[in-house]
Amino acid sequence: MTTTIDFRTAVREALDEELAADDRVVLFGEDVAIAGGVFAVTPGLYEKYGSDRVFDTPISELALAGAAFGAAITGLRPIVEIMFGDFLTLVMDSIVNQATKYWFLTGEQVPVPIVMRSVVGAGGRFGAIHSQMPASWFMGVPGLKIVAPSNPADAKGLLRSAIRDDNPVLFFEHKRLYGISGDVDGELVPLGSARVAREGSDVTIVSAMNTVHAALEAADLLVGDGIQAEVIDLRTLRPLDVPTVLASVQKTNRVVVVEEGPLTGGWAGEVLARVTEEGLGDLDDAWRIATAESPVPYSPPLEDAFLPNAARIASEIRTRTL
Amino acid sequence: MPRLSDSMEEATIAAWLKRPGEEFRRGEPLVEVETDKATVVYEAEADGLLTEILVPEGGTAALGAPIARLAGGDDEVVEASAPAYMQAPFVERARATPVARRTALELGVGLHGVSGTGPGGRIRKLDVVRAGSTSTANGGVKGATTAVPLSPTRETIARRMTQSRSEIPTFDVTVRIDVTTILELRRDVERAPSVNDFVVKAAALTLREFPPFNSSFVDGRSEQHARVNVGIAVAAEDALLVPAVLDADRKPLAAIAAEARELAQRAKARRLTPDELSASTFTVSNLGMFDVHSFTAVINPPQVAILAVGAAQRTPVETTSGGVAFRDTALFTLSSDHRAVYGADAARFLGHLRNLLEHPLSLLL
Amino acid sequence: MATIGAETERYLELYRRMVLIRGFEDLIQSLFLRGEIYGTTHLYSGQEAVAVGVASALEDRDRLAATYRGHGHALALGVDPQALLDEMLGRATGINGGRAGSMNINSPNDRLVGSFGIVGGTIAAATGVALALKRVGGVAVCQFGDGAINQGYFPECLNFCTVLRLPVVFLCENNGYGEYTPFQTVTAGAIRARAEAMEVPAETIDGMDIVAVRAAAVRAVGHAREGTGPYFLEAVTYRYVGHSRSDPGAYRPAGELDEWKKRDPIVRLREDLIEAGTDPDALSAIDAEVAAQLVEVERRGLEAPFPEPGPTSEFSG
Repeated sequence: MTTTIDFRTAVREALDEELAADDRVVLFGEDVAIAGGVFAVTPGLYEKYGSDRVFDTPISELALAGAAFGAAITGLRPIVEIMFGDFLTLVMDSIVNQATKYWFLTGEQVPVPIVMRSVVGAGGRFGAIHSQMPASWFMGVPGLKIVAPSNPADAKGLLRSAIRDDNPVLFFEHKRLYGISGDVDGELVPLGSARVAREGSDVTIVSAMNTVHAALEAADLLVGDGIQAEVIDLRTLRPLDVPTVLASVQKTNRVVVVEEGPLTGGWAGEVLARVTEEGLGDLDDAWRIATAESPVPYSPPLEDAFLPNAARIASEIRTRTL
Repeated sequence: MPRLSDSMEEATIAAWLKRPGEEFRRGEPLVEVETDKATVVYEAEADGLLTEILVPEGGTAALGAPIARLAGGDDEVVEASAPAYMQAPFVERARATPVARRTALELGVGLHGVSGTGPGGRIRKLDVVRAGSTSTANGGVKGATTAVPLSPTRETIARRMTQSRSEIPTFDVTVRIDVTTILELRRDVERAPSVNDFVVKAAALTLREFPPFNSSFVDGRSEQHARVNVGIAVAAEDALLVPAVLDADRKPLAAIAAEARELAQRAKARRLTPDELSASTFTVSNLGMFDVHSFTAVINPPQVAILAVGAAQRTPVETTSGGVAFRDTALFTLSSDHRAVYGADAARFLGHLRNLLEHPLSLLL
Repeated sequence: MATIGAETERYLELYRRMVLIRGFEDLIQSLFLRGEIYGTTHLYSGQEAVAVGVASALEDRDRLAATYRGHGHALALGVDPQALLDEMLGRATGINGGRAGSMNINSPNDRLVGSFGIVGGTIAAATGVALALKRVGGVAVCQFGDGAINQGYFPECLNFCTVLRLPVVFLCENNGYGEYTPFQTVTAGAIRARAEAMEVPAETIDGMDIVAVRAAAVRAVGHAREGTGPYFLEAVTYRYVGHSRSDPGAYRPAGELDEWKKRDPIVRLREDLIEAGTDPDALSAIDAEVAAQLVEVERRGLEAPFPEPGPTSEFSG
């Protein structure tokens, strides 16, 4: 049954359905229970499942992360909310030195089924330390999955899959996506699989989260120039679905990866590295569009200029195609 | 910094042979330079005075960068840099994307002629496609034009022939050789070696006697080779290939004949190995089968010589008794690199060759 | 004042455990000097009473998270000494197949959640373990040193566990030194006071007296299991060796070690047992059995094969 709902509702439905399906699932974080979440994503869950399953915690990211890890290896399936992705710096020790190493150190005996949801991204005028995209900080952590939906259907389908996944998963909810609506059929979406959001034959645009929409807009703009762009929504950043990107590049020979995040060390570089290694012979052009080597500014004209938008994407493609 | 090796991008000053304030004459050694291949002495191109050393001993400079200040005989300050002929640009591998290269192959477009419009002048597929589709519709006074681009092999050959003719100071010496006896010998033997096989064997034995012709000229000097590998020019479709008969001086004529046949077959089928194509120390090229009476061939660098063989023709010659007889003679032209060998050397070489070919029994041993 | 009382049999078993730990750590020291154990390792010699006393108060449904100075706790929980030694020798037969080494040893089947190299990591782990164990009435113990008191994990998790009423025993083994530094020079106020500030029941006990340790542990675990919140135990003890194998402990004042050795926990228990009627020969027999056991463990460990390098699976499922 298909419904049209917004992104935040899609997230809440996923949490609700998984809390109902498995009583090992627990949800905790700062203000998630009684207040229903600072982004109003989790209202009603505390009332429905009680404080044994859904509860608030002190402002203690270290303790939150440790609690998630310890619970996950002792039979529970914790979902933790880290209010802003910028605060993931505080949980990094637990993720890196505990959660993602336990499977290996126990000789693949004890998995760590944690989902760490976090609100990320710029465009909301929240300033330098509430607008970052932490994905790149975590790309180099073996054992970690990073999921990044761009629309309500994927948000719900991927979150449910993430909760059922036995590995630590960072689940990113871009704050500018909460209000967008879309059709949701309730199907599970597998982790590690990208989606062709729009077909085309002249250039492949690879992106994730909010920037997918800028890419789709850019593709519309380019029709007028006679350029048919194919847009790929990665949906999962780690592990990357390289075969889908390669198949597209085989067709278009030209790939641009658009990342909301600084150019240096970004995940866009990882995509290009894999495409180059495995599809060199199909390449006629390959480049990235990302943000400048600078923190996110606050004032609207500054922030807008900072982020990759449809006009910039279309302009760069135009210049390099014609 | 002069270009003292074909592959150097920079080099190190090993030793200055003149000090600031010292005068020099044209041709005098100025500086020893260590390139990627060897240590080479660079000589002054004109009289002058060394006023200032810019790169000291042990220092490194890029090709073309100033290494010293000189004053000319008429007080003109000149910065020493490479002479024009040494700066002749080597054709580099074109900057093109993988798909552009693939398209160029498919369309038969030579990348070197294509101008790139990608970032940094990179050649992209679009540029290749545009270059491949040139054709003028009605033409003009020359009629409609069809572009015939060079295949990669023909491009390589074009490049090497250009290099040979522009860099090597070639001179040509021709002799007329009486091949009557060879032709008579051939008539008496079943499946006899060809005339060219006799020439290959004779050339090999001559090369052994004249080592300077069995050499490569590289980096300003001759390198004599211990083995005598005679290359045979074979016209394959769309290419001129030169596989080598290795150690031709030691092999009996029959073996040379069998090998030459086999190499020619594989050349036409394009199944020669890179080793076979790069082993020649000397080349024999024969257009006799087309009734060409003489021609000059282009030396294959880094070899120092090539022998062009014309067709045997019935020629009237004066007999010892003052009469006229007809003999089978052919014109042989030896083209040589004047940096390695001189006219008299070439003449002596041909003399020895003629002797062997006019008394071919020695070749049968 | 706690006494052996009627628990002679149990304390004989605890005696054996302490002797095993002491001998094991001596063996590790010797093997390290011979180059058979790699990297670094942190020895527990002198602190045996704490690990063994606390472990004796745990049930099957309880768990313990240890620090990188965790061999004592592993053996106290019942981890097989052969598998433990093999792990440190880097052999395939090691308890973690050679993947973990001294600082990362884990044995979920023996109730050892793991050893955590990041100071304070055990506290984080135990917090989460307790969250899950609350459902089955289990208790999580986190062992940590005096240095961890000043790490962010400690106050955050103590607060977290208190407000959420999690069943955790915070076991601080105060051996006087955080790595190379005496704890007083880097710690403001008293250790126990930090727990008391959060109104967590807290005790300071003599970590060299296993009878006292066990009694306190029973109290602590019992309290935690009730579900009202955590319990804090500060066990004052001493390590006979340096912080790690590369540290000879030269920063300790002269004579300090000898003073503490006079209060050796094994000697102390031996005396207590004899006073309670145990035949000294029985104790000597235990000493000899353990010594022989360790000779055999060493022999087999050195003969054990190294693991073959091969691909590992990054994810489960």
